[in-house]
Amino acid sequence: MSGLRENWRIVLLVVLALGSVVTLMVPGATVSTGDNATANNATNASNEGLTNLQYGIQLDGGSRIRAPIVGITAEDIGLTNGTEAQALRDALVSRLDVDQIDVEVRLPNERTDQASSTSVEVFTENVSQQELATALQEEGYDVSESDVRDGVTQSTRNEMVSVIERKLSFSALSNANVQAAQSATGQNYIVIEATGRDIDELRSIVDQRGVVRVYTFTPDETGGYARNQVLTQQDFARIGNAQQRERGDYGVSVTINDQAAPRFVQDVQQAGFDQGTTYRCNYDEENPNESTGAPGGDPYCLLATLDGNVVFSGGVDADLASSFASGSFTNDPTFSMTTPTREQARNIELSLKAGQPLPAPLDFENAQTTSLEPALADQFKINSLITGVIAVLAVSVVVFLRYGDPRVAAPMIVTALSEVLLLLGFVSLIQFPINLSHIAGFIAVIGTGADDLIIIADEILQREGVATDRVFRNRFRKAFWVIGAAAATTIIAMSPLTVLGLGDLTGFAIITIVGVLLGVLITRPAYGDILRKLVLDDESDN
Amino acid sequence: MNAFEVPEVDYDQYTNRQLAAVPLAVLGLAILILVGWWAMTGAPVTPGIDFTGGSELTVVTSMSQSEVEASFDAEPLSVQQAVDEASTVGPDENQYIVRFQSTGIDQLRTQAQNEGMELLSSSSTAAAFGSGNQQTAVIGVLVAFLGMSVLIFGLFRTFVPSIAVVVSAFSDIIIPLAAMNLLNIKLSLGTVAALLMLIGYSVDSDILLNNHILRRSGSFYESTHRAMQTGVTMTVTSLSAMAVMAVVATIFNIELMASIGTVLVIGLAADLMNTYLLNLSLLRWYKFEGVNR
Repeated sequence: MSGLRENWRIVLLVVLALGSVVTLMVPGATVSTGDNATANNATNASNEGLTNLQYGIQLDGGSRIRAPIVGITAEDIGLTNGTEAQALRDALVSRLDVDQIDVEVRLPNERTDQASSTSVEVFTENVSQQELATALQEEGYDVSESDVRDGVTQSTRNEMVSVIERKLSFSALSNANVQAAQSATGQNYIVIEATGRDIDELRSIVDQRGVVRVYTFTPDETGGYARNQVLTQQDFARIGNAQQRERGDYGVSVTINDQAAPRFVQDVQQAGFDQGTTYRCNYDEENPNESTGAPGGDPYCLLATLDGNVVFSGGVDADLASSFASGSFTNDPTFSMTTPTREQARNIELSLKAGQPLPAPLDFENAQTTSLEPALADQFKINSLITGVIAVLAVSVVVFLRYGDPRVAAPMIVTALSEVLLLLGFVSLIQFPINLSHIAGFIAVIGTGADDLIIIADEILQREGVATDRVFRNRFRKAFWVIGAAAATTIIAMSPLTVLGLGDLTGFAIITIVGVLLGVLITRPAYGDILRKLVLDDESDN
Repeated sequence: MNAFEVPEVDYDQYTNRQLAAVPLAVLGLAILILVGWWAMTGAPVTPGIDFTGGSELTVVTSMSQSEVEASFDAEPLSVQQAVDEASTVGPDENQYIVRFQSTGIDQLRTQAQNEGMELLSSSSTAAAFGSGNQQTAVIGVLVAFLGMSVLIFGLFRTFVPSIAVVVSAFSDIIIPLAAMNLLNIKLSLGTVAALLMLIGYSVDSDILLNNHILRRSGSFYESTHRAMQTGVTMTVTSLSAMAVMAVVATIFNIELMASIGTVLVIGLAADLMNTYLLNLSLLRWYKFEGVNR
């Protein structure tokens, strides 16, 4: 028993090493961080690798987009209540001649976020900072051009992340990660990383705002035709999957929610769908007023637009029309929207499922994109593994050459490797996706690890001196001072990278820091104990 | 019994000035190169596409290097043939990495596909994004270096030994930077990581040396010799790991790891010189003359 207590450092190392093996190898033995990680990993059944390691796009293939958000913001403009905010928003929409969704006016405490001041945001490239300032001045607010900054508010960024997350999680291939990030220069951007996904596919999902609206298009009193909005994104309850229909086009079955359904029925009745007959629609997209249909040769249409483009136009068959007329539609408020292309149907589906459009567009002009085919990723995986193994061999050779004594050198190599094992266990435990930079980090850890073990070995195995426990402790403490100081400098040198948002380097820095900490706190002390055993055993043999 | 022993250097033969002259001359030369480069190109080190913005494609095709070069409307910055160990390419095909200044990645992708190339990867960084990266990286290196310096002064609490470490570390970064210009390695995120790592790595042997000389009993030369035994072993071990990584990753065309490896090899070699010539001479001066003042 006393052996256990004396060698607790070695015991701890062995226990943690075994734990790491379990975390790495046993399916399901990991925890996930954060809500989105849980959601994504739960649906990710494609993880058929030998280990529980998560690979990033460089080692698994996939795509990443880092893009700023389009928008300008004026803050602290002295609004007092929601009515005023709504009025200002409406006024700005007409003054700036932009869509409703391109203007956002926020009041303090609207959310629990940092948006502690009132703010006005405009999410389009067509409005300059000066134009917004002028519009605000004309509305009687004391705002100068310099008060309008580039960028959007924290609340908008958070909404962006959650909408993109929802859209991606509803698209068939999951395992995506969305984050808001900030560079040291204050530039905010959104990072979207999706393994196993082509860049074109990923872009098509986030390229557009995904604004879905449903209109009626029917004759009005003046003898022309009028388009009236009857549904927006928020009005839907259940959305089916986009499916190809027999006729070759694509359909999405949609269900309107209970709050919106009565209003919708009222609106369509008012628009003219108040008889239980068949309504026909030949919508002419170029010249809507040339559209034809029935009854009476006039078009009776339901239109759906995606980002302002009409993607669905259709009449109403007799069954549906009579349920509109009688109001019984509210009992089962479901209908189907059809589009000519799969992509449009899919976009409608995902946009509706996300429940709201992207609060602002992403600025792809100033973005960074990366895309890697799985074939190349596999190449990287194998080659970087080979590189790592060869680096370990190089370290081993030097250490053996230097010490000659395998009893010193072998535990040194084993300890250095156990550090990597613990680190692998750690990244697999938190399901951290590994990229090339992390493998460079692993190699760096082996390097610093070996350095420190050499310091310990040299200190403890000094030629002269009595091999007693006291001497051992004393020497170990001395060695540890140097190791601790060296570890502290490495951690300090790496820590800026963890917060600076330089992409790949963040992971590299985290791996190195965690590796150094694991080394200093666990593996290197354990190596000291191993050497003590060696030294004390030698002594008792003599 | 040992296949390699750290040789005992007879420091007695040389004056402090002589010892310090070599590393200081190298440092001066390095600074000269950087300044000259700055004057000629507008930047002390040529930034790569991580910082300037640009695009990169990895393609597989049976075309020759010059045919690949001619396939794009935009003129490539470079076309580099890659070695493929995982044999994803057929017998008559080659894998190339093509870099462009242009950031119209959609066009480049389409052109490559139209020419029948198989696209293995593509990436593009907008110029604005790149210049943001560059500022960030510079801030990162400065903060890291300052943090390290403060820590060193805190640990040793005496001016000369502390500044000796800081000057050595400074030189350990400057020399590889100058070498990058000579070897035509551009500044990338990978090399920035390597420079930061150098701050951490290179200080180890300096701390060890200072610690042995200042805080241990025994004569100056005894302490030095003991510190060198350990320190040189450490640096040579790291150096060999990084050299291997640099060579293997270069063969495999894993650019990130190759550039980290190369910069570290140069930096660690510079560190050997700086620690045992520059730092040591400063310490010796401090120990024998500076303390008594």
